[in-house]
Amino acid sequence: MRVLQSVPPRVLRMSAAWALALTLVGFVFQVSDFAYRRLPAPRPLEELSYYPSGMLLRPATLGHGETAADLAWLRAVQYYGEHRSSDMRFTRMYHVFDVLTTLAPGFIPAYVFGAFALAQEGSDFARAEALMEKGLGVNPTSGRLAFELGFLHYVRPGGRDLRRAAQYFEQAARQPDGPPESRRFAAFARQHSGDLGVAYLLWAEVAAGSENPYLRKMAGREMRKIREAVETGRAELAVKRLTTPIVRRSR
Amino acid sequence: MRPAQNGLAGNTSIVPDKKWPVAGVGALQMLPDAGLAISTRDLTKVYRNPWTLQVVRGLEGLDLDVRRGEVLGYLGPNGAGKTTTLKLLTGLHKPTRGTAWLLGVPIHETASRRRIGFLPEQPYFYDYLNGIEYLEFAGCLSGLSGGDAHRQARHWLGRAGLGERPRLVLRKYSKGMLQRLGLAAALLHDPELLILDEPMSGLDPFGRRDVRELIQEQKERGVTVLFSSHILPDVEILCDRVAILLQGRLTRVATVGELVQGSRQRIEIRCTGAGTLEVPANLDGVVECRQRSHETVLTLSAEQRLGEVLEWLLRSRIQIRTVTPNRVTLEELFMATAEGAGSRSEAPSPARAGEPAERRTA
Amino acid sequence: MIVAAIARNTFREATRDRVVTGVVLFGIAAMLLTQLLSPLALGEGHRLTIDLGLTSISVLGMLVVLLAGSSLISKEIEKRTIYNLLSRPIGRPVYLTGKWAGMAGALWVVAATLGAALWALLALRGHAGHGPSLAQAVYLAGLELTVLTSLVVMFSALSTPVLSALYTLGAYCLGQWSGDLRGFAHQFPPGIAGAIEVVANLVPNLPIFNMRSLAAAGDTTSGFHLGVASGYAAVYCACVLCLAAAAFESRDFK
Repeated sequence: MRVLQSVPPRVLRMSAAWALALTLVGFVFQVSDFAYRRLPAPRPLEELSYYPSGMLLRPATLGHGETAADLAWLRAVQYYGEHRSSDMRFTRMYHVFDVLTTLAPGFIPAYVFGAFALAQEGSDFARAEALMEKGLGVNPTSGRLAFELGFLHYVRPGGRDLRRAAQYFEQAARQPDGPPESRRFAAFARQHSGDLGVAYLLWAEVAAGSENPYLRKMAGREMRKIREAVETGRAELAVKRLTTPIVRRSR
Repeated sequence: MRPAQNGLAGNTSIVPDKKWPVAGVGALQMLPDAGLAISTRDLTKVYRNPWTLQVVRGLEGLDLDVRRGEVLGYLGPNGAGKTTTLKLLTGLHKPTRGTAWLLGVPIHETASRRRIGFLPEQPYFYDYLNGIEYLEFAGCLSGLSGGDAHRQARHWLGRAGLGERPRLVLRKYSKGMLQRLGLAAALLHDPELLILDEPMSGLDPFGRRDVRELIQEQKERGVTVLFSSHILPDVEILCDRVAILLQGRLTRVATVGELVQGSRQRIEIRCTGAGTLEVPANLDGVVECRQRSHETVLTLSAEQRLGEVLEWLLRSRIQIRTVTPNRVTLEELFMATAEGAGSRSEAPSPARAGEPAERRTA
Repeated sequence: MIVAAIARNTFREATRDRVVTGVVLFGIAAMLLTQLLSPLALGEGHRLTIDLGLTSISVLGMLVVLLAGSSLISKEIEKRTIYNLLSRPIGRPVYLTGKWAGMAGALWVVAATLGAALWALLALRGHAGHGPSLAQAVYLAGLELTVLTSLVVMFSALSTPVLSALYTLGAYCLGQWSGDLRGFAHQFPPGIAGAIEVVANLVPNLPIFNMRSLAAAGDTTSGFHLGVASGYAAVYCACVLCLAAAAFESRDFK
C-alpha cells in the first residue's frame, strides 16, 4: 500500500487503464476463438453466391477493374484449391471466372486456367468452351488463347474434337504471340482427323520454317507417311486412332 | 459630381490627370487630390443573407480623405464598420456602392495594394512556416526579388525582436510575437501607406509601446498610417486626426485638439474635513459631490462659478487640498458621442455632401 | 513569379502535412504487402503487384486530394491567413492558380515516389522491363490527379471542406462512369440522350487517363494517346480554374 501511495495518481490511473485494456484483449481473443470453433461455418455451396455480376461490378470499381479482377483471381484460386482437395464440386467456378474476366478482359491466364479447371475437373466442357470463346472474342489477336482453345478441344473429355482443335491451332500460328509449336500441333491434329491434304501442307511449313533439326526430321517423316497413305489408299498408315480422354466425375 | 481639388486654389478642372487612372468605365469620375493617400467617395457595403434576404448595412456612404504623411485614428464601437472599411480598402470585400483610391489608384485594381502594408486584426499565419520563411514569402508576394526578400526578412525579423530564433515555427509563437511578425510583414517592402486593424490588440504594455514607437517611426519617415483601435490613449498620442464611425456612418473627423477643445473643462476640488457635505441650493446641478474614505471630491462643471464654490467651502471651514482643472479625455468624448448617437433616431449624418470643410482635409 | 511563390508555399504546406507523408508510407507498405499475396496468385504475382501498385497510387492520391485539397482554400478563409495574401497586389485568379499548382506538384511527388517504389519492387522480382509502361501509367495517373486537384480547388474556394470533398468525390465517380454514361444515353430518345451526352462531356473524362490494363500486361500506349491526355488535362484544368476564379472574384472574406 505504501508503494502505491508513493506513485503519482496519474501514473496509477494510466497503469490501471493499460492493465484493464490488456485483460479485455485477452477476453476478446478467447471469445473470438470460441466463435470460430463453435459457431456454424458457412456451407460451401453458399460461398461466392453473392458475387455480383461483372457488368454491375465494373462501374462500381471506378476504373480499378484490373485490381478487383486480381482480388477475384486470388479468391478463385483459393476456391479451386479448396474444392479440388475436398468434393471436386465447382459450381461457382464459371461465375467467378466470368466476373473476373469481365473486370479484366485482357487477363489471358484467367481464361485458360478457368476453362481447363472447368473442363478437366469440373466436367463442364460447354462452359469451359464458352469462357475461352468469350476471351477470344475480346482478344481476337491473342495467339495464346487460340492455342489453348485448340488444346482444350484436343483434350476434350469423352472425345477429342481434332478438327476444331486444328482450326484453333492454325489461328494461333497466324498470330504474332502464338506459341511456336502451334503449326506443328495443327498439322498433327489435321493428320489424325483424316484431313491429310492440309496436314501435309502444314508439315511442309514446319519442315521449311523450323530451326530445330529434330522437328524438321519429324516433319519429313510425317510427310512421307502421308504420301504413302495417299498413294496406297491406306489412310491408317498416317491416321492414328488416339486415346479418348477420361471424363472425371465429382465425388 | 464634385470638382477635383488639387493644390491650385480656384482650379476646379475635371479633366483627367494623366498620373492616375480614372475610376469607373465609360464615365468621368472624380479624381483624388495628389496629396491624398486615401480617398473614398460614397463607399458603401451592404450584406444580404442569400437565404433570409436579410439586409445588414455594414458601411454607409463613407466620404473620407487621408493626406499623405498623416496618421489617422479610426474609432468606433464594435460593429461600427471599421474593419469593413479596412477590408474594402484592401480588396478583401467588394463595395456595394462607391469607390476609393489608395495612393491615387482605384481599389478595384490590384495595383492599388502594391505600396501598402496591411495588418489585419488578430493576424493568423501559416503555422507550419517559421518566421524567416513567412517573411520571405510575404516579401515575394509584395514583389520583392528572392534575394531582396531574404535580406528584408532577416532585417525586419530582427527589428520585430524575433531574430534570435528565426527557425522557430509560427505555431509556437505567442500572440504578441504574431502581432510583431504581422507588422514586420506589413513593413518589409517599405510601403507608403500602412493600414492597421487593431495593431495593439492583445499586446502587453511593452508590446504596445513597441508598436507605438514603430508607428511613430513610420510617421517620421513620411508614411501615411490609418489604424483602428480601441486603446484611445494610444490614439491620442499618435494621431494627427481621428475619425469616429458609428453604426456604419462617419460621424466626426477632426484633430484630437479640436475634438476636446470645444468640450467644457471641469474642475476637481479635493478637500478633507467635509463630513456629510450638503450642497447649497444655488450650486445644485453645478457641483457634484463624491465621498471617499479619506477625502471628499467635488466636481465643478461650470468653471466660471469656481469663486462661489471656493467661498462656500471656506465659509464651511472645509480644508481645501487641491484644485485641478480636467479636460475631457478622448475616451470620454468618444463614449459620449457613441451614446448620443445610439439614443438618436435615424437622423442624417453630418458626414455627407455639404459638410464642414474641417472634415475633409487638414 | 507570385504564382510560383504561392505554389511553393502550398507545396511546402502539403509536404509538411502528415497526411501526405502517411499516404506515401502507407502506399509503400501496401505494395510490400502484395508480395505476401503473390504466392497465392499462381504465377501472376507480378501482375498483382502492378495492379495493386497502380491502384494504390490512384486511390491514395485521391485520398490526398480529398483530405488535404478539400480544405485548401476554405481553411485559409476560416483561419484568415488569406488576408495576408489578398491584401497584397495579388489577383484572385493568380492566388487560385498558385494553390492549384502547389497542390498538384505535391501529388506529382506522391505519384512519382510510389511509382519509383513500384518499379523497384518489380525490378527485384526480375520484371524491370515493365519500366516504360509503368512510367506511362504513372504519368497518366498524375494527370488524372491534376485534373481532380483543379476541381477540388474550385469547390474549396466556394464551399466547406466536407462539401468540397463530397463534390469532388461525386465528380470523380461521374468521371469514371463517363464512358458508361455515353453508352447509357443511346437507350433514350434523342433529347434526353443529348442531355446525358452533355453531362458526360462536362464531367472529367477520367478513363482517358487509365492504362492500368495495358500496364498489367507490360504494354505501352501510343504517343498520340499521351498527347491527347496531356492536352485534355491542360484544357480541362484551365476551364475549371477560370470558373473558380469567376466565382471567387465576388466572394467577401468575413
